[in-house]
Amino acid sequence: MIVFRDVSLVYPNGVHALSDVSLSITRGDFMFLVGSTGQGKTSLLKCINREVRPTEGEITVEGQSLAELRAGDIPFLRRKVGVVFQDFKLLHQKTVWENVAYALQVTGAGSRDVLRRVPRTLELVGIAHKSKMFPQELSGGEQQRAAIARALVNHPLILLCDEPTGNLDPETSSEIMALLARINAKGTTMLVATHNQAVVDRMRKRVVRLVNGRITRDEERGRYHVGLG
Amino acid sequence: MLDWGKVAFFWAEVAQNFTRNVAMALTAIGTIAISIVLLGVFLFLRASFDTVMKSVVGQVVIAAYLRDDLKQPAIHHLTAMLQADPRVDSVRFVSKKRAMMNLRQRLRGQMNLNVINTNPLPNTIVVHPVDPANVPPLAAEIKRQPGVDIVNYGSGVTEKLLRAEAVFSAVGLSIIVMLLIATSLIMYNTIRLTVFARQREIRIMQLVGATRWTVRWPFVFEGVLTGAIGALIGIAALFAAYRSLVPKLAVNVPFVPFSMSSVPVQHLALELVVVGILVGMLSSMLSVSRYLQTA
Ligand SMILES: Nc1ncnc2c1ncn2[C@@H]1O[C@H](COP(=O)(O)OP(=O)(O)OP(=O)(O)O)[C@@H](O)[C@H]1O
Ligand SMILES: [Mg+2]
Repeated sequence: MIVFRDVSLVYPNGVHALSDVSLSITRGDFMFLVGSTGQGKTSLLKCINREVRPTEGEITVEGQSLAELRAGDIPFLRRKVGVVFQDFKLLHQKTVWENVAYALQVTGAGSRDVLRRVPRTLELVGIAHKSKMFPQELSGGEQQRAAIARALVNHPLILLCDEPTGNLDPETSSEIMALLARINAKGTTMLVATHNQAVVDRMRKRVVRLVNGRITRDEERGRYHVGLG
Repeated sequence: MLDWGKVAFFWAEVAQNFTRNVAMALTAIGTIAISIVLLGVFLFLRASFDTVMKSVVGQVVIAAYLRDDLKQPAIHHLTAMLQADPRVDSVRFVSKKRAMMNLRQRLRGQMNLNVINTNPLPNTIVVHPVDPANVPPLAAEIKRQPGVDIVNYGSGVTEKLLRAEAVFSAVGLSIIVMLLIATSLIMYNTIRLTVFARQREIRIMQLVGATRWTVRWPFVFEGVLTGAIGALIGIAALFAAYRSLVPKLAVNVPFVPFSMSSVPVQHLALELVVVGILVGMLSSMLSVSRYLQTA
């Protein structure tokens, strides 16, 4: 359960990225966050894993108020909230395998767990054959899969995906979206920020549109644009 | 309980950081090695100088020349009293006869002392002080004892030597302290650059749920390793130089009353390793903390 109550975010440089956002996402939901570039999608997701603090309003994640989190609690929030970053944020010094393993190892997982779960997750996103490569040696789409694998490996309660199909061809995009739908079906709350109209229209999930940092539409079983059938 | 999985993870992190940033690691190690050499040379010079000063000043003794009318029991009494003084290291009695024999020995073949048939040399008590700094007051006290005629300790020279020693030791210490600060700053800045180059990495580690200490530990340990390896390389270079220079130095400056073996080189080496490790560790820790997000 994620709740936004009148959340506004003003960056230090004065940009109003979010204005009066109120939103409630039930556990197990699948929600698309749409809007053209620069409208605040990434900013909204960053609030949930506490990468930024809203200037106003309140956010609770699984009953926990984020404003009350102390620095020492943040890592534990982030283990519950997996993120597929728009720019992937893979560690250049580590191979794909090590990148995925790292997210598990920092939680204190033992080596047996790591050896069991990492290959399985890499298999799941279809990148097991590149596990010994470094991120710089991968194509954009492959890096995206590695980023998804890293976000998944912890079995997070909530998965935030920022443009998870941004670098993929239509076929691979549907493949990835099918994967996300399967993960969601197992109970993971899913937030997907995207410009990908085809994907949104096909899935018919909840769609929230951001314009200039404000929610202008919130629709169950929605489409990318209003009024198209 | 010790969790071997975590230990393995930690070591793998340290090893990766070294092997995948080889150029960076070598730069840091090299900088530390050079700093340690610099520091080591100065520590050695200071220790050598100290040794020379100590051996010069340490040769100062007090000679108390006794009046001829002072009888054997009184001499015994005086000797025993001096021996009991805590400021006195050892006391040696040299009789008139002994003194004459010594003199004959020394002048053999140069001057015939048989022409004098009286012995003008006095009975003498030679006092070795524990600390040369105590010589002037001790000498003054001995002079006041009954039966003591003249007290000789190279007054003037001793005082000057003592004062010079104090000045040199203060100057030496402040040079060492300044040098320590300067080299520490150089080492700190180099390590800070290596951490700076990895701030993106640090940020990502935090974003995927690493606690601050999980991020910090490998860096801290890397700092320790970098410091230790750098210091050991520096010390190896210093020892090589020491080995090849010492024999030449001993030949060229023979008048220096100084044996290299009396400089505590092992002790200096240990100090340098400690400096390397401490500076390496603290530098890493401070640098990482600057890039860790805390809110
Ligand atoms: N760190 C930042 N500091 C200042 N302004 C920022 C920062 N990040 C984003 N912004 C601004 O906030 C606004 C919203 O940005 P955001 O990244 O949330 O957009 P977005 O909807 O994710 O866009 P895109 O579809 O291109 O990814 C933009 O105007 C952007 O310039
Ligand atoms: Mg974005």
